[in-house]
Amino acid sequence: MIRALLSITLRGLLNRRRTLLLMLGGALLLLIAALFRLSDPSEPESLRFTGRLLADFGLAVLLPLVAVIVGTAVIGSELDDGTIIYVLARPVPRALVVAVRFAVAWVVVAVLVAVPILLGGLIGAGGQSELAVAYAVASVLGALEYTAVFVALSLVTSRALVAGLAYVVVWEGVVAGLFAGTRIFSIRQHALAVGDALAGEGAVTAELEPLTALIVAVAVTVLALVLALRRLERVELRGETS
Amino acid sequence: MSTLTLDAVSRWYGNVVAVNDVTFEVGPGITGLLGPNGAGKTTLLHMMAGFLAPSTGRLELDGAPTWRRPELYRQLGFVPEREAVYGFLTGRQFVTATARLHGLTDPRAAADRALEMVSMTDAAERAIAGYSKGMRQRIKVAAALVHDPPVLILDEPFNGMDPRQRLHMMDLLRAMAAEGRLILFSSHILEEVERLSDRVLVIVAGRLAASGDFRRIRRLMTDRPHTFTVRATNERALAQALLAEPAVQAVELADGLLTVRTADYGTLTRAIGPAARRAGASLLELRPADESLESVFSYLVRR
Repeated sequence: MIRALLSITLRGLLNRRRTLLLMLGGALLLLIAALFRLSDPSEPESLRFTGRLLADFGLAVLLPLVAVIVGTAVIGSELDDGTIIYVLARPVPRALVVAVRFAVAWVVVAVLVAVPILLGGLIGAGGQSELAVAYAVASVLGALEYTAVFVALSLVTSRALVAGLAYVVVWEGVVAGLFAGTRIFSIRQHALAVGDALAGEGAVTAELEPLTALIVAVAVTVLALVLALRRLERVELRGETS
Repeated sequence: MSTLTLDAVSRWYGNVVAVNDVTFEVGPGITGLLGPNGAGKTTLLHMMAGFLAPSTGRLELDGAPTWRRPELYRQLGFVPEREAVYGFLTGRQFVTATARLHGLTDPRAAADRALEMVSMTDAAERAIAGYSKGMRQRIKVAAALVHDPPVLILDEPFNGMDPRQRLHMMDLLRAMAAEGRLILFSSHILEEVERLSDRVLVIVAGRLAASGDFRRIRRLMTDRPHTFTVRATNERALAQALLAEPAVQAVELADGLLTVRTADYGTLTRAIGPAARRAGASLLELRPADESLESVFSYLVRR
């Protein structure tokens, strides 16, 4: 049962051209790191630059972009075209459907983001691994939270992609920059806090305490998944005219 | 033996009433749900198959509600109307995955059997994205049958099928019904329902307009009053001549166009020629005014 759920979910995601296009984002990060390396920078300079690249591009742009596209599609695209009926018309516990779909999306997001961050960090820092590993771990955790939120969002609104992008750009990009008190509800800040705590020299200074960030991140993830399950249990399929 | 019970079931979307106070019970055998497009057939079927909650009323399969009960699908197979199926899977992968989702012990064998039943074995290795409409329809049926359910609900199953596939599917459904299954399918085509089902539910504008034996409903449909419009020279004399005919119920003359109502379709068509000759009128055009399926249905509702 799980095997069938996994294979349908994974193939459905990877079959979408959009998902594959997301690899270009990771490639861009690698390209920037490589070009920077060609300029033969000094060590402190390369750590500073790499830290900024991983935090400001990897965690702040690549991660939410990949997560919003994959997270809102993993259930949402099948709700849109009605094919979700081929999963829901089976005696499969809805919690298992949510768990498997979420897990697959998380792994896909994590791979698409953490791998370029790890490689880009190694290239940019000239082989020093501390920054690369710290931000890769932070991106895996960030992927967990972002994906859970966007999966839930796709079950709340049919405009989840727009709503998710708005959250990333407006809330995380603008509001959290202006009002420090709102940063506790910024997933980007959670990931940055973890990256900052794990990395040594070169890390971008985070605004939140890592422990606080972790607790909020876990709470948000759990709440989002519970919400997603509640919505999926009550989702109504109307047919063609809906 | 399964029984599907609807008791005063209604469903609305916002202000729009899609299904209005529908009550009936179906047992084993083939039941056709007949109605024009937009009558609420899909809403009704989706409620029966547990994908929509009734706004009011009671809807149960063997005494248990269908809404929010995934266990329902152990005994129910559903073929949705929407064409979209996982295009990235082959037919066999789709049916086998479905068998796995049902937790069947031998999903491969079950898939083979279901593919064979809908004659899709030859095309089973091709991706569904490349299937024709009729093939998609059949692969959806195979997936719905794979766990051998006692209840099968199909929404417009014959859409997109060619006549040969249609006959084959009808035979398949008949054979399944003969094994004591409850089969309920929807259609907006009278002939499909006529050829296949023992019992018919006619739904128009969300209401159950008629239900029961097909022959009885068919008779209601043919015996209903017919309306013709007639263009003729000397229409006033013709109107008078027609009023003298016992088969004619009413004649109306407006803008040179005669509208004739009759309860007896056959007699009128035989009588109108001689009546025109007596009145010295030439018939220019004789046209049935309300032969659309919708008007047949709305007659059943008014009745």
